[in-house]
Amino acid sequence: MLNYRVLAIIKRELREKLFSKAFIILTLMIPGLIIVFGGVQALLYSTESKGLKFDLVVEDSGLLGDFQNEFSQRDFVTKKHYVFNYMSMTREDFKTHLQNKRQQIVDEKLSGIIFIPLSALKDKKIEYYAKTPQNISLSRELERPINKIFLNNFFKSKSLSAEDLDFARSGVDFTGFKVTKDEKIAQEGYGNIVLAYALSFLLYISLLMIGQMAMQSVIEEKGSKIVEVILSSVSAKELMTGKILGSAITGVAQMAVWLGTILAVSSSALIALPPEVTLNIKPDLVIYVLLNFFIGLVLFVGLFSMMGAIFDNAQDAASGNMPIMMLIIIPFFIAISMMENPNKPYIEIASLFPFASIIVMPARLALIEVPVWQQALAVIINLLTIYALFPIAGKIYRIGILRTGKKPKWSEVIKWLKYKY
Amino acid sequence: MYALEVKNLTKTFDKLVAVDNASFEVPEGSIFGLIGRNGAGKTTTIRMMMGIYLPDNGEVVLRGVKVGQEFKNQVGYLPEERGLYKKMKVLETLLYFAEIKGKSGREVHKKAEEYLKRFELYDRRLSKVEDLSKGNQQKLQFISTVLHEPEFIILDEPYSGLDPINTNLLREIIIEMKQKGKVIIFSTHLMDFAEKMCDHIVMIDHGKIILKGALKEIKSKYSQKNVSLTYDGDISFLKSNPIVESIADYGNTTGVKLKEANQSQQLLRMLLDRNVTVKKFDANDISLQEIFIELAGHEDNGTNGKEVRNA
Repeated sequence: MLNYRVLAIIKRELREKLFSKAFIILTLMIPGLIIVFGGVQALLYSTESKGLKFDLVVEDSGLLGDFQNEFSQRDFVTKKHYVFNYMSMTREDFKTHLQNKRQQIVDEKLSGIIFIPLSALKDKKIEYYAKTPQNISLSRELERPINKIFLNNFFKSKSLSAEDLDFARSGVDFTGFKVTKDEKIAQEGYGNIVLAYALSFLLYISLLMIGQMAMQSVIEEKGSKIVEVILSSVSAKELMTGKILGSAITGVAQMAVWLGTILAVSSSALIALPPEVTLNIKPDLVIYVLLNFFIGLVLFVGLFSMMGAIFDNAQDAASGNMPIMMLIIIPFFIAISMMENPNKPYIEIASLFPFASIIVMPARLALIEVPVWQQALAVIINLLTIYALFPIAGKIYRIGILRTGKKPKWSEVIKWLKYKY
Repeated sequence: MYALEVKNLTKTFDKLVAVDNASFEVPEGSIFGLIGRNGAGKTTTIRMMMGIYLPDNGEVVLRGVKVGQEFKNQVGYLPEERGLYKKMKVLETLLYFAEIKGKSGREVHKKAEEYLKRFELYDRRLSKVEDLSKGNQQKLQFISTVLHEPEFIILDEPYSGLDPINTNLLREIIIEMKQKGKVIIFSTHLMDFAEKMCDHIVMIDHGKIILKGALKEIKSKYSQKNVSLTYDGDISFLKSNPIVESIADYGNTTGVKLKEANQSQQLLRMLLDRNVTVKKFDANDISLQEIFIELAGHEDNGTNGKEVRNA
């Protein structure tokens, strides 16, 4: 099947699609967004508040040492995100202190003053004075160490063991664990859900984009009548094969660029994402997704080409190919619905179902462990679908591309199947 | 020796018999005309010869072997409705068409450039096809038809939509190909073009072959009863004359069909007796148009056509 004619057609398709400026820009835009998104995230986490200066004013001078000790062990001090100036004074003196520092705070030379009154040892209420006092990350980071000091102080007078203290100090930590067949149980964050979203979305976008392009290209060949010249050199089967493979290669190349970018970003040391959103993307997942996608593209592009051959203008085709669009849109929504709970019964069926498996299976793989036989079965079922549908799609294509005149009815299209062409 | 033999080709679309048991032979080195009115089945016949359509019945034989990919590689085909990839560049287009015929490499590249120079398109070789004028796009299409040096050139209604310059250019190409010994097959409904260019013809009407053979033989066979006449005066008396079968006015000339082949001298004498000024009297000439009308009847005379098609 892969003779020089088909290769020439594939080459032309690639030149027209893969190497067209618009396509390259579109393809690179997505990883550009991924890098920018990843970079901004990492940036926010790393350089958020660098070297911000605070005054920490404690009314009870006995606690000053505790604060110095506790804070000096914390990341926000060791990494110099925050620089603290520790001091002790009464509330009366603090008022004057605040007046003196007012101008510095307004000029942002001093980020803020934290005042810990005596009463805080009982009610845990502390005060924060700043130009923008609603600073969530500051309160989130300071909450635990300050609470620890209060707790220590509160329980010092009671006779409690260090063990009891530790227990009282700790909050509830809800850690998710991914259970797999492997012995070791890996701790896991939101990364998998992010990855499943990303895969569903990228596969969906690429399928639509490549499918539409393939259909447009058939319509163009039919409309410009060039198809008759081409058919004087190659058979309709060779033309269709070349066009489908050209589109499928284009789609897989696009997906490879996208997934490669995610792989690079998630494993790169330059852009360090916090552990809870690290994407658990592995090369073998990428390879499976690309293979599965290639088969899926062949299947879909075959159907889109058939649609292009039936209609001779984009408007008619757009309404005519709704059923095929549904085969892409519905699986996409199934994949999205899976994020909530990947163990819904219909998910397993959808991940094996022809057409649907192209989007649902990769998303499912990102979330949970899927037996290898199911992964293989999804591919085999799509291959069988191709085997069953392509003789029909090929025949409709062969007849459709040379037909002109009014838009055919579906009943006529079915009649074509009986023609000897 | 025949280059191509078309044997009993039949093609039906739904209930319409587009080509009905058509058989004819294309001799080596000939310019072969496939003649008939619009919708007679010419394009369908050509498409079956090219393997674009599968015939319901019959076959096409190329020098003793049933046609297939081998034939496609040897054919340069110019369909009636011509098309090019609009976004492709001129030179790129030519190389692509040659490549799917199995010709690639430096030699084709060089040849493509030669053709472009000859047709004054070399400066535009890196332009997109859509930026070319319609006339230049047609030139490009001609080049792509012959660039791979085909043995057969098949032209479907080649003159439709061509300006006079390109019409001449195409004729030049056809004659050049003929001199190189290639077989040229073209379909047309323009009888006078066919008459000027072809040495062999086949006439097709309502899907059926109604006449075939060497043009000269056909003409001499039909011409004996026909007189081509140019005159001044009144010839209306001929209408009721017993030796005259029919009279057809073709504008500049008038065709008189006699009942018997040996009555032409009698006709000339009658015209002179009635003081008709005879400017031209050709008793051995008949136009293809006349033959066609004699065989196929007058253009679109009612339902006759439909009955044949549905038969």
